Amino acid sequence: MDEIIKIVFDIVSFSCIMVLIVSGLAIIASLMGIFNFAHGEFVLLGAYTTWLFQESGLPVWAGMLAAPFIVGAFGFFLEVTIIRRFYKAAIVAMLATYAIGLIVREIVRPLIGGRFYKVSEPIPGLFEIGDMSFSIWRGVIIVLTIIIMTSCYLFLTKTNYGLKIRGAMENPALARTCGISTAKLYAFTFAFGAALAGLAGALMVPLYTLFADLGLRFLVMAFLSVMLGGVGTFEGPVLGSALIGAMVPGFQWLREIPYIVDFLSPIFSEVLVFLTAIIIVKIRPQGLIKRGRI
Amino acid sequence: MKKDLKQIQPSRRSFLMGSSALAAAGWIAGTTGAFVLKPEWAHAAGPIKMGIATDITGAIAAGGNSCWQTAQLAVKQINDSGGIMGRPIELILEDTASDPGVAVGNVRRLIQKHKVDVVFGGITSAMREAIKNPIVKRGKTLYLYPQLYEGQECTPHLYCTGPTPFQQCSDLIPYLIKQGNKRFAMPSANYLWPQLLNKWTRRIIEENGGEVVLEEYFPLDQVEYSATVGKIKSEKVDHVFLTIIPPGLGPFGKQLYESGWQNEGGTISCVYYDENSPYYVEPYALEGTYSCLDFFHSVDDAFSKQLTADYNAMWKDTKFFFTAGAAATGMYRGIKLYEQGVIKTNGDLKREAVSEALDNISVAQGPGGPYKTVPGTGHCAMNMYIAQNKGGDWNIIQSAEMVPPEECA
Repeated sequence: MDEIIKIVFDIVSFSCIMVLIVSGLAIIASLMGIFNFAHGEFVLLGAYTTWLFQESGLPVWAGMLAAPFIVGAFGFFLEVTIIRRFYKAAIVAMLATYAIGLIVREIVRPLIGGRFYKVSEPIPGLFEIGDMSFSIWRGVIIVLTIIIMTSCYLFLTKTNYGLKIRGAMENPALARTCGISTAKLYAFTFAFGAALAGLAGALMVPLYTLFADLGLRFLVMAFLSVMLGGVGTFEGPVLGSALIGAMVPGFQWLREIPYIVDFLSPIFSEVLVFLTAIIIVKIRPQGLIKRGRI
Repeated sequence: MKKDLKQIQPSRRSFLMGSSALAAAGWIAGTTGAFVLKPEWAHAAGPIKMGIATDITGAIAAGGNSCWQTAQLAVKQINDSGGIMGRPIELILEDTASDPGVAVGNVRRLIQKHKVDVVFGGITSAMREAIKNPIVKRGKTLYLYPQLYEGQECTPHLYCTGPTPFQQCSDLIPYLIKQGNKRFAMPSANYLWPQLLNKWTRRIIEENGGEVVLEEYFPLDQVEYSATVGKIKSEKVDHVFLTIIPPGLGPFGKQLYESGWQNEGGTISCVYYDENSPYYVEPYALEGTYSCLDFFHSVDDAFSKQLTADYNAMWKDTKFFFTAGAAATGMYRGIKLYEQGVIKTNGDLKREAVSEALDNISVAQGPGGPYKTVPGTGHCAMNMYIAQNKGGDWNIIQSAEMVPPEECA
C-alpha cells in the first residue's frame, strides 16, 4: 500500500512539473498561434533568476516570486520588439523564437561558467507516510500546480480579460472594431506565457541542476505535449503534458513487472514515451481536446 | 478574414516543416581562431610549441577551462625557470567546444598551421576518439590525454596521464566491502566510460564477495529516476556505485535522498566527485560520499599544496578549480612529463624520440605525489587516494602509492 502511494506520488509530481512547464507554452501556442521555441530558455531564465537570488544571499523563495515578473517583463519586451513582426508568418516566427532561445542560452552559459549548480529547496526535508518518505518540495509543487492551473483556467474562461483574449484570437478584426487593442492583448498574453515559464523554471530547479541546457531538456517533451493535447485550447496541452509527465516515470515503473524488465531498459522506456505519444497523435490528430472554447 | 486566421494558426504540418527546418539549421556552429600565448623571452632555435585542444565553450567548458588555466600555470613555471633545455614554450589553444565534430577541424589547424610539437587535451572519450586521428595518425604528432577514463586506449604515441578504472577501483571497492557493504547498485549514464568502468567494478566486487543487484544505464539527461530509486530501496542495496553524470546526476541524487535510503544507512561512491562537486550536489546528498582520485586538495604533500596555492594565486577568484575530476591534474602531469621527456632526448623534439623517452620515465613531484610511465603501456602509475566527504571537504581515509594502471599490458 505504502509502495503504491509512493508510485502515485512520484508519477503525479513529475506530471505536475510537466504541466507547469507546458502551461506557458500552451497559452502562447493556443491563443496566439506562435510556437515559441524560446520557451525552454524562459524556463531557464526563471531557474537562473532563482539561482542568482541564492548566490546573492537572498532567500530562494524570493527568487521564485521574482522570477515570473522578471521573465514576464522579458517576454513583454520580446513581443514588442520582435515577435509581433511575425504574426503573419508562423514558421518565420518559430525560427525567430529559436534564434532568441539560442541567444539567451549562449548568454546564460558563460554567465554560469558552463557549470552545473544546485539550487536548494525553500522548504527542504522529507515527510513520511508509513515506511515511505516523500519530498516536501515535490508536495508543494503538486499543490501549487493545481492552484496555478485552476487560476489560469478561471482567468481565461471567467474573466472579462480572458474573454477579450479569446475574442481577439477568434476574430482579430472584429475585436479591433469593438475597440479592443489586439496588439496590447497579444503583448500581454505573450508576457503571461513567459511569466508562467519563468515560474515553472523557478519552482522546479531545486529538483534538478541549473545548467544552460535545462530548458532545452524539457522543450521537446513540452512540444510533444502540445501536439498530443491539441493546439487551440488551454486544457488540451495541459492534459497532454500531464499524460506525458505520467508516462515518463510510469514506464520506468513498468520495469517492476517480471518479463517486462527483460526488454524494457531505462533508455527504451524513454523512447517508448515518444512512441506512445506519436501513436496517440496519429489516432487523434485533432488532439485530446478539440479546438473549443478558448 | 478566414484567411487571416489561418495564417496565424499554424497547422501540425507547418509545425513539422518548421521543425525540420530547424534541424537543418542545427549545423550552424561558430568557428574560433586559435589563441597563441607567446613566451616572454626567446631562444635562437625558437620556442617549443605546445598545442592545447580543450573545451573552452559548450557543455563541459568548466573542465576545459580548468585544463587551460592549468596548462598556463605549468608552462609559466617551466618558462620562468629557463624553459626546457634553454628553449621557452609557446602555448597554442584551440577550442574543441565540447563538440567532436567542431574539434576535428580545429585540432587539424594545430598540426597544419601552427606545426605544434605536442598536443595535450580532450576530456570526454568521444573527444579523445575524435582528435586522436588528426593528431596521432594523420598528424604524426605526440598526444597526451589528461582525463580519468575507461581504459583500453593503447594507440602508440598517445599517453594517458589520468587514472584508469583499475587505479580508481582496485582499492576503493575492497575498502567499501570491508566496511560491510555487500549489495551494490550501479546506476549509470549510458556511454562508454560507465560501461567499461562498471565491467572492472563488477569484477572487483564479485572477487571480493560482494554482489551487484542492479546495473542500469540511463540517457545522460534523464530527469526521472523514481522507479530505480524504488528498486534500490526495495532490494536493500548497501552501496550505490554512481556513474551518472550531470545533468542527470542532480535529480538522481535528490530522488535517492528523498527516498530516505541514505538516512537508513545507504552509502554512495562516485569516482569523479572532487572539489567541484559541492557546487552541483546538495550537501545532504554529498555528506558521507566516497570518491577515489589521484589528487584531492586535502592530500598531505608539500608539492601538491604549493601547486594548488600557485594555481589559486595565478587565477584569483576563478570559478575553475585545480581538481582531478576536471582533468587539471592530468594536464599538469602531462606537461611535466613531456618536459622530462625532452630533457631525456637532449632537446630532440621528434615524435619518435620523445615518445621513446616517455615510455619509461619517472617524475619525482606532481599533483598527488610522484608518478611514472609504465613501459609499453602509455599509462602512468600514480598515487591514489580514497576520500570521504564531510561537510563539503574531502577527508583522505586511505592512500596507495604507485598504483599500476593495468592497461595495454
